[in-house]
Amino acid sequence: MLIRRTQQRSDSASRGSIATGLSGQNGGVDRRTFLRRSGLAGGALAALGTLPLGGVRKAEAAAAGPLTAGATPRKSICTHCSVGCTVTAEVLNGVWIGQEPSWDSPINRGSHCAKGASVRELVHSERRLRYPMKFVNGQWTRVSWETAINEIGDKLLEIREKSGPDSVYWLGSAKMTNEGAYLFRKLGAFWGTNNTDHQARICHSTTVTGVANTWGYGAMTNSYNDIRNAKTQMIMGGNPAEAHPVSLQHLLEGKELQKANFIVIDPRLTRTAAHATDYVRMRPGTDIPVLYGIMWHILQNGWEDKEFIRQRVYGFDDLRKEVDKWNPEEVERVSGVPGEQLKRVAKMFATEKPSTLIWAMGQTQKTVGTANVRASCILLLMTGNVGGPGMGANIFRGHDNVQGATDVGLDIVTLPFYYGLAEGAWKHWSRVWEVDYEFLKSRFDSKQIMEAPGIPLTRWFEAVTLPKDQVAQKDNVRAVFVQGHASNSITRIPESLNGLKALDLLVIADPHPTTWASLAVEAGRKDGLYILPVATQFECKGSRVASNRSLQWGEQIVKPIFESKDDLEIIYLMANKFGFADKMFKNIKVENNLPEAEDTLREMNRGSWSTGYCGQSPERLKAHMKNQAKFDMLTMRAPKSDPEVGGDYYGLPWPCWGSPEVRHPGTPLLYNTNLAVMDGGGTFRPRFGIEREEKLPDGTTRKVSLLADGSYSKDSDIKDGYPEFTLASLKKLGWDKDLTEAEMAAINKINPATPDAVSWSLDLSGGIQRVALMHGCVPYGNGKARMNAFGLPDPIPVHREPIYTPRVDLVAKYPTLPDAKQFRVPNIGFSVQKAAIEKGIARQFPLVLSSGRLVEYEGGGEETRTNPWLAELQQDMFIEINPADAADRGIKDGGWVWVTGAENNSRARMKALVTERVGKGVAWMPFHFGGWLGGKDLRGNYPKGTDPIVLGESANTITTYGYDPATNMQETKVTLCQIAAA
Amino acid sequence: MASLAKYVRLALGAWTLLLFVSAAMPTAAQQVNPTASSVKEQQLLQELNRIQGRVSIPDQRSGVLEQPAGREWREFRNVTLRWVGGIAILGMLIALVAFYLIHGMVRIQSGRSGRTIVRFSAFERFVHWMTATCFIVLAISGLNITFGRPLLLPLIGHEAFSEWSQWAKYAHNYLSFPFTIGVVLISLMWLRGNIPNRADVEWIKRGGGIVGHDHPPASRFNAGQKAIYWIVVIGGAAVAITGYALMFPFYLSGIEGMQIAQIVHSIVAVLFVAVMLAHIYIGTIGMQGAFEAMGSGTVDVNWAKEHHSLWLAEEEARAANAGRSNPTATAAE
Amino acid sequence: MARMKFLCDADRCIECNACVTACKNEHEVPWGINRRRVVTINDGKPGERSISMACMHCTDAPCAAVCPVNCFYTTLDGVVLHSKDLCIGCGYCFYACPFGAPQYPKVGNFGSRGKMDKCTFCAGGPEADGSKEEYEKYGANRLAEGKLPLCAEMCSTKSLLAGDGEIIAQIYRERVMKRGYGSGAWGWKTAYRETIES
Repeated sequence: MLIRRTQQRSDSASRGSIATGLSGQNGGVDRRTFLRRSGLAGGALAALGTLPLGGVRKAEAAAAGPLTAGATPRKSICTHCSVGCTVTAEVLNGVWIGQEPSWDSPINRGSHCAKGASVRELVHSERRLRYPMKFVNGQWTRVSWETAINEIGDKLLEIREKSGPDSVYWLGSAKMTNEGAYLFRKLGAFWGTNNTDHQARICHSTTVTGVANTWGYGAMTNSYNDIRNAKTQMIMGGNPAEAHPVSLQHLLEGKELQKANFIVIDPRLTRTAAHATDYVRMRPGTDIPVLYGIMWHILQNGWEDKEFIRQRVYGFDDLRKEVDKWNPEEVERVSGVPGEQLKRVAKMFATEKPSTLIWAMGQTQKTVGTANVRASCILLLMTGNVGGPGMGANIFRGHDNVQGATDVGLDIVTLPFYYGLAEGAWKHWSRVWEVDYEFLKSRFDSKQIMEAPGIPLTRWFEAVTLPKDQVAQKDNVRAVFVQGHASNSITRIPESLNGLKALDLLVIADPHPTTWASLAVEAGRKDGLYILPVATQFECKGSRVASNRSLQWGEQIVKPIFESKDDLEIIYLMANKFGFADKMFKNIKVENNLPEAEDTLREMNRGSWSTGYCGQSPERLKAHMKNQAKFDMLTMRAPKSDPEVGGDYYGLPWPCWGSPEVRHPGTPLLYNTNLAVMDGGGTFRPRFGIEREEKLPDGTTRKVSLLADGSYSKDSDIKDGYPEFTLASLKKLGWDKDLTEAEMAAINKINPATPDAVSWSLDLSGGIQRVALMHGCVPYGNGKARMNAFGLPDPIPVHREPIYTPRVDLVAKYPTLPDAKQFRVPNIGFSVQKAAIEKGIARQFPLVLSSGRLVEYEGGGEETRTNPWLAELQQDMFIEINPADAADRGIKDGGWVWVTGAENNSRARMKALVTERVGKGVAWMPFHFGGWLGGKDLRGNYPKGTDPIVLGESANTITTYGYDPATNMQETKVTLCQIAAA
Repeated sequence: MASLAKYVRLALGAWTLLLFVSAAMPTAAQQVNPTASSVKEQQLLQELNRIQGRVSIPDQRSGVLEQPAGREWREFRNVTLRWVGGIAILGMLIALVAFYLIHGMVRIQSGRSGRTIVRFSAFERFVHWMTATCFIVLAISGLNITFGRPLLLPLIGHEAFSEWSQWAKYAHNYLSFPFTIGVVLISLMWLRGNIPNRADVEWIKRGGGIVGHDHPPASRFNAGQKAIYWIVVIGGAAVAITGYALMFPFYLSGIEGMQIAQIVHSIVAVLFVAVMLAHIYIGTIGMQGAFEAMGSGTVDVNWAKEHHSLWLAEEEARAANAGRSNPTATAAE
Repeated sequence: MARMKFLCDADRCIECNACVTACKNEHEVPWGINRRRVVTINDGKPGERSISMACMHCTDAPCAAVCPVNCFYTTLDGVVLHSKDLCIGCGYCFYACPFGAPQYPKVGNFGSRGKMDKCTFCAGGPEADGSKEEYEKYGANRLAEGKLPLCAEMCSTKSLLAGDGEIIAQIYRERVMKRGYGSGAWGWKTAYRETIES
């Protein structure tokens, strides 16, 4: 803790005192004495020495003043991770001249990491794109915005005409504001495709799917701050010290104040693990065996929370059967973790409660990602660690607004706010957007494709290059419009070059050219390539959602510089070019082509009942930013007495039920039955029916309820489980009388034929939610969480070896899932795994290759590698290798090596970092580098003056095939490689 | 007693280390506890007096976190060196003044003959003077670094002193190159005449003739001059090498190496200066007829007879062999 | 009278380098000059610790003692500052500094070390507080505005403490007492000839 500025001021008064300075106390010298002694002071200053002391002080005050005097402070949100640190900028004459600590933010409390402390440079960077550019016969040429939009629009319309709307791929960004991401998805819907995706696909898509399928919503259940309450923190598959540094403030203080267990399970001794009280090293790709290994001990010793399981969990018996297979011997055989070590961990996690489980990409970016996070949720459920302070699945998301962009449906499987793609969802949104459903349908090739999930971004290049009959849409993808997404974050770069070459059109809208540009040039493109300069998020306003589901409103710090444009403006210009801007922006004010962020959020509020984004009006969010200091750091709640934000939780973490007027405070901890719903309480969401027919061993069947049993949130009028609210259920309870006439009219308008079917999520009046809340009930119902998530490829998580595994002996017992068609494209993981074994890949490439984050860079890294303050700190791409493996290969620390991969004869040149961070047989690379390919420096491919300062080989040049069956998440954490001294 | 104390300290150190190691060992089987096994500053400093780690920036020298050895260097620079330099230089000056007052200038006993003989060629003189000039500037600018702050700064004030010191630093750095070249040339061109031989033993036994009016025989260079030669060659090499180590930081060594380099550089330099004061004395007011050797390059034959009889004999014999009676029949004036 | 000091709690430091870039940001420090850096000891081993280090503003500062031109001065807050107008770039402070704090821009030819640059505890230099000249030579003067060094203010885990020595020592002492472990106040013995006993 620092001495806060207020305290500091009091003693700074005496510090500046010239009187003590002249008396020479403490042997110190004040500035003026020094000047005089040094003979540097000019005549005027020297003469001051003869004046009475009072005069001197006055003269000093007049002569000197801070350079920042007169600057306006503006607040926005750091764009580099999901912690949601407030950035306080000092702006003078339209120039961002300084950054100050944001003491008032309950999340970061003044702190930043290397990236956050240097964001000012992003805006003023000399190397940013300045104007639109077009690649003409192999030359980057400047064009006007008008020309660019016209040419791009014409080409897209031409492709649409010939190949249908699905042949254009809209790749958006988790860096956009909620409003930007929402409008980008809406643009996709109006264009007529579900091929709209963003970084969540390659970050937490498996979490969203796995966790939502367990208990309702696929998001962090608690918050960074709340981890302070935990007695046991377990981090498995995450390195927050580098990926979410400011979160460590809460984790480490929690560890210290609670004397908490701090368990890190990871193949790598990370900077996070360095602070662990227990570190467990495991073989990469064996999360499920390790988690089952822990559960085995829990069940063996009866440490499970039996009452919690009885009341709130479905499928425990099915799970027990799977856990029984994972005795300590088998766990150690598969994962390398000794049973005794896991017994310690199991005991702490189950008995020293509350316990929280923290994870990030280490669990998700796997072919078994969905199953991994499911197993993690199951461990939490088994020990009763969900729905209270210090508990929960604290899932650390990646980008600053990846949670928000996911929520607003910038995704291939759903419309905004998880409504899905079924007819009902489209009809809901056509009502919100006030456009005809038939119009939307007419934009698509067919109703069937309108309701079919799009192509995951991990597979975009295959959608371009696969034979037409293997891509389940009218034609291959022929154009990619990418706004704010790196290409080097996507695996199998050598194969993506074929896609880059084959495209008819590639549009890159970004503050930087990104590796899309340098690789497209390298792939041999000569034209059909545009770059549009986009403003950074500090030049835009709007809301962002931190990992803890809090919405924060960011002000515009400075106007977009050079010719760059706000995301929203570019979306508008495209819509306008396509001729549907008037329909798309019917309820959103547009000024000088720029849609208003506030109006956009209001439209979202009107349609987002399913996720509780309905209460976060722009006015409320702005009030929160203004009153940040009033929120308690631990509970994140403002005192009820406050007139503006009284009783609210910081950032109104969703679900924030009802209309803004209902003044729901937000939900800081999901599924917390100890609080009333109007205080942020909740229950598990019954999302998968209210009962299930189970087959018994004797062939008979029985019906089992999926609703909670005797558990309910505080002050609930219904003292048991209950299904979601509809008009029909209100009528049954006799609560329909609580609806106002206007609300009833609205409900009748939504479904004139059967108004009874109108539910809490479709009721645009918010009446059903309001009435449910009035009775202390959660609008979505009160169900059980599922240990058995029927409907998923593996309803009970099953260990499956990575596609490229060093343990070929285990593949027969733990093979990957069979080949299948998923998301319009084939997933041939099984065949690839089989072929790898037949070819003896594991002998040629004996090292396991994993990848991860560095604190200095983010994502594909072009933006951060362009920032000299960050780039200076990591100037070379490297690979971590264990000293034993390095010695075997004659590799020296800091020496150059060639890394070769198991596919495409891929190779990459980088420096070796010989370290015990990685165990023997494991190598690790950071994934932020780009601009080199196979040892070749691609600096010349960037438009002049826009190349990042630091370039290097991309980890994804070496990564290989492998996709999670439920989401097509890519495999970046476990593949094979070989390393040789260069 | 001292050795016992040392032994006790060693034993204690070993115990601490052992305790530390046992603390780091897994308490329960298989437990790895990074919090408990943390490195401790005190222990690292006791072991190595230097703490080094990993940094990601290419400047690997910044990986040295802490090295309290700077303390000893500071003591050397601010105290030891000033004493050593002060005593050496002031002592030499006092000795020379005393010697001069007692002995006065060493005259050519037999008076000038009017005949001269070439002692140093133009090239030799050029090399000598180039080196000498550089040396003087290097010496003054170097002494300024050690003695300027207490002696000169209070006189001329901060600004003027810094200005002067800045130029002195430039001069010191740039003139080091011609100086080094000079030292190399000197070492090569006068090497033959400076190999010690039997005559030197006699010369030294007779104290070089400094006392009284003795003139021990000497070749081209007497033992005293040979000593100067070797001091210049070895001392010059030492200051040059250590100087460049300081001028190009981190090319040759880390910071502790540079501290040692500075110690060697400064000690050799102040002794060098002291010796050179004597050399200047003897070449100027200390001895009649000596300066001409490096001035015009020729010396009076009588001077040569008295101070370098063997050399004169050699030269004359060579001239006779060449069939010429008087190799340097140039009028003195 | 406050005696300003730095203290890096290595049991909190995660090598996030916020202190490094905050410093770059606040003072526009050029490439190659690292007023502050983070060093990781025993990297990759279970006892690994990272420590953020800059000028410690020593008591009886060695740099000041050895400076041939006497360009250093200690403010009443105990902050060790220097005058770039007086510095001749000789490098002596670098030999004496136990913490590798002095930095030199490479200028011109061989041997021309530029004026020494180092951490100012965000207290500027001899020029008038908050003046343009001061900013250009030394960076911002936060102390004069009643603020503390930005590196510590922005530290992600509140590991790096800056402020009155007694107060930060007290904070550290309490932390160690509460949590039961502490690897030491790194550099304090060397810089201030004292350690924090807990």
